[in-house]
Amino acid sequence: MSFFIEVVAGGLLAGVMYSLVALGFVLIYKASGVFNFAQGSMVFFAALTFVSLTERGWNLWLALAVTLLAMVVVGIVIERTVLRPLVNQPPITLLMATIGLTFVLEGASQLMWGSQPHGLELGIPDVPIEWLSQKWNINISQFDLFAAFVAGVLVAILALLFQKTRIGRALRAVADDHQAALAVGIPLQHIWAIVWAVAGFVALVAGVMWGVRNGVQYALTFTALKALPVLILGGFESIAGAIVGGLIIGAGEKLAEVYLGPYVGGGIESWFAYVIALLFLLVRPEGLFGEKIIDRV
Amino acid sequence: MILAVENVSLSFGGVKALQDVSFDVKEHEIRAIIGPNGAGKSSMLNVLNGVYHPQKGKIVFRDQEFRGMDPHRAASLGIARTFQNIALFKGMSVLDNVMSGRNLKMRCNFLQQALWVGPAKREELVHRRAVEEIIDFLEIQHVRRTPVGRLPYGLQKRVELARALAAEPALLLLDEPMAGMNLEEKQDMCRFVLDVNDHYGTTIVLIEHDMGVVMDISNRVVVLDYGRKIADGTPDEVRGNQKVIDAYLGVAHA
Amino acid sequence: MLYREAGQFKSTYGQDQQIFPILQDRVAVAALLVVAFVVVPLIGNQYWFSAILTPFLVFSLAALGLNILTGYAGQLSLGTAAFMAVGAFMAYNAVLRIPHMPILGAFVIGGLCAAAVGIVFGLPSLRIKGLYLAVATLACQFFVLWAINRVGWFSNYSSSGVITAQRIEILGYPIEHSRDKYLLTLVIVAMMALAAKNLMRSETGRAFMAIRDMDVAASVIGIPMMKTKLLAFAISSFYCGVAGALYAYCYLGTVEPEAFTLDLSFRVLFMIIIGGVGSILGSFLGAGFITLFPIFLNVLSRTAEATLGIEMSHAVVSNAEAMIFGGLIIFFLIVEPAGLARLWQIAKEKLRLWPFPH
Repeated sequence: MSFFIEVVAGGLLAGVMYSLVALGFVLIYKASGVFNFAQGSMVFFAALTFVSLTERGWNLWLALAVTLLAMVVVGIVIERTVLRPLVNQPPITLLMATIGLTFVLEGASQLMWGSQPHGLELGIPDVPIEWLSQKWNINISQFDLFAAFVAGVLVAILALLFQKTRIGRALRAVADDHQAALAVGIPLQHIWAIVWAVAGFVALVAGVMWGVRNGVQYALTFTALKALPVLILGGFESIAGAIVGGLIIGAGEKLAEVYLGPYVGGGIESWFAYVIALLFLLVRPEGLFGEKIIDRV
Repeated sequence: MILAVENVSLSFGGVKALQDVSFDVKEHEIRAIIGPNGAGKSSMLNVLNGVYHPQKGKIVFRDQEFRGMDPHRAASLGIARTFQNIALFKGMSVLDNVMSGRNLKMRCNFLQQALWVGPAKREELVHRRAVEEIIDFLEIQHVRRTPVGRLPYGLQKRVELARALAAEPALLLLDEPMAGMNLEEKQDMCRFVLDVNDHYGTTIVLIEHDMGVVMDISNRVVVLDYGRKIADGTPDEVRGNQKVIDAYLGVAHA
Repeated sequence: MLYREAGQFKSTYGQDQQIFPILQDRVAVAALLVVAFVVVPLIGNQYWFSAILTPFLVFSLAALGLNILTGYAGQLSLGTAAFMAVGAFMAYNAVLRIPHMPILGAFVIGGLCAAAVGIVFGLPSLRIKGLYLAVATLACQFFVLWAINRVGWFSNYSSSGVITAQRIEILGYPIEHSRDKYLLTLVIVAMMALAAKNLMRSETGRAFMAIRDMDVAASVIGIPMMKTKLLAFAISSFYCGVAGALYAYCYLGTVEPEAFTLDLSFRVLFMIIIGGVGSILGSFLGAGFITLFPIFLNVLSRTAEATLGIEMSHAVVSNAEAMIFGGLIIFFLIVEPAGLARLWQIAKEKLRLWPFPH
């Protein structure tokens, strides 16, 4: 029984990591209706920049600040060069543009900083906490708790931003209908620049967390793809959904790997999340927290 | 009698779109459904077409009873329709759009089509000929290769009518065919509707707001208000009906 | 002046419906075919055949397959590489396990197996659309690759999962030289391209486009949604499967599951975006562009090294390539979403007026 709890706990914590990446997607989708396929490469770029600066001896907080600034600049540039010319295009066009963006960011990251993997240290130990593992046989580290805490704070901030502030309302208006938002005077370009900058910030947080856990390497970009099943479960527009979805996917994956894996030769983690998402889609296409889409003729 | 609607009721959650509506449609006639906004006219058409399923009542089409129909079955039974907000395939040309209306009559499978030479080509040319007749009839030859998305609104409506006609329907449902047109375009469209009824003998049920059009071209009229039928008869009978006047003919419309 | 249609009247619908209604086009295409089938085999060298022309043809076929599904039928798919993998591995197994299996039969079997997988993973398209469908195809991509890796039967229990394509023989004539492989690929691709064009100008093509443009309206006029969508998946996967088999037999020679990753799916998607979605010609243009572009960059970087003395490591070049690709995608989406095929059309329109300005 305790083994089961351990697996679930491990899965939930992995899920928190997925949620962090998924939050970036939700942010941009909620605010502009664009599915940002490039979120994963933004995570990668942020993590790589941060770790490269710290490795060159920069102070941790300074590196963080500079990377954040870089992400904001990246966000503004993206808005100006990619989104603005494509305003009012169908969502599929925007999706494909973000796929192109992925390649640009990945290439740029590695061009700037090289392609070797880096380890990342934040000073928070990632070894199981003594008394937890000894008393209850659960392996959770300080870092795990820190990650969960950070995720919680992020969610709270973002939820507040969207629900309570004027900017949040403007963001939701923009997501619904670009032209209508323009018509009522919402400064579309500023809003989008803000959104992408914030998404960059979220990407930075996610990137740093993942970097500590798994090291900063090219494979980080694929974590973005894992966020897709999370979003399907949780709905593309729900911040709470990103968390819940992440937890479910994280736990589900680990459980499947441990309990089903031995029967089919292992390696289930590469596709299990997607199959869960697929089955979910067949039953409830709009996700746990999403909104139903009605086709009118 | 080609169509009979018997005690049809339709609601969406708490909203009662249609309440206990009954009327019939004689073969070869032009039947208009009119009423103020929100009266349930489009819903009625959607029920006839199978897009909505009524909770109560039934539809008898050519002596066959249906409680719920689906659009695909309606199409194969010979019911065609046009839509209020044009439902054309914007990426295709006019010719392709109208040809797609013939799909139920095409018999060749995809392997024959991949080969092209032989039965597929022959079939395609036969249907092309039929479609060209309709294109001539509705006077849209000059735009046959233009992508539909680039045409002005009035022409798009005509193309949609052509597509519906391509199926050689027994019953044609027109949802506000004159909407958004100026006087000239309306006159043209009226002429086409009358010609279709005359030339092909198609029974037509149409929803229309323009009273002049309705009074001029329809044989009989059904009036709906808040989902209920409040009048049924010839245009003159309906025009003089006090309930109808109260419902919305209070101000003279051009 | 040269490209005038004056005097070319069509007096039957048959003439009007032909693939190349303009005489000059027909002449040009005939010339192209002569060059492709006769001239190139005579003057080409092995490098051109094996590194440029054959992969170009193979990817054109894969792009064609994806275009049928995503461009014409509007179902976004990220599982192209998985279908190619099925085609490759099943063709290999067909030759391996069925005695006297002719190679073309094996290709067909590979294609049919891919089509079957395509139908299974296309079933979700009946309920979900757009981005969600893309995720379903991702499930296909990852699952199929995992299955081919894990289930030893596919690679004949080789420990590394790598298969070596067997020697091809057609009617006793061995296909070993790269020129012969090029010709075999050319014949297959040309025939399948013709079949695709025929399909897309018939009712099937119209049904696909109708589903893409407005599927509710399509079902109202009688087009069967389920049958049409699944047919789109089946035909598209068949094409990708055959492309995969050709990839293994005529291009790479040895194949491992890692050759068919998500990266490859994205590559083919880029081909149709740049070439033109919903266009047969576009599939070829896009495939040509993406096949030639890395070679062009390589040549460019080597001349830069030689003339300017700039050292560019392989990593730099491949990262630059990724950036330029991504940039081109965005550029095309902004400037000409209909891709190279549309640019070609515009060029032809201008050519009709040449040498006059308007």
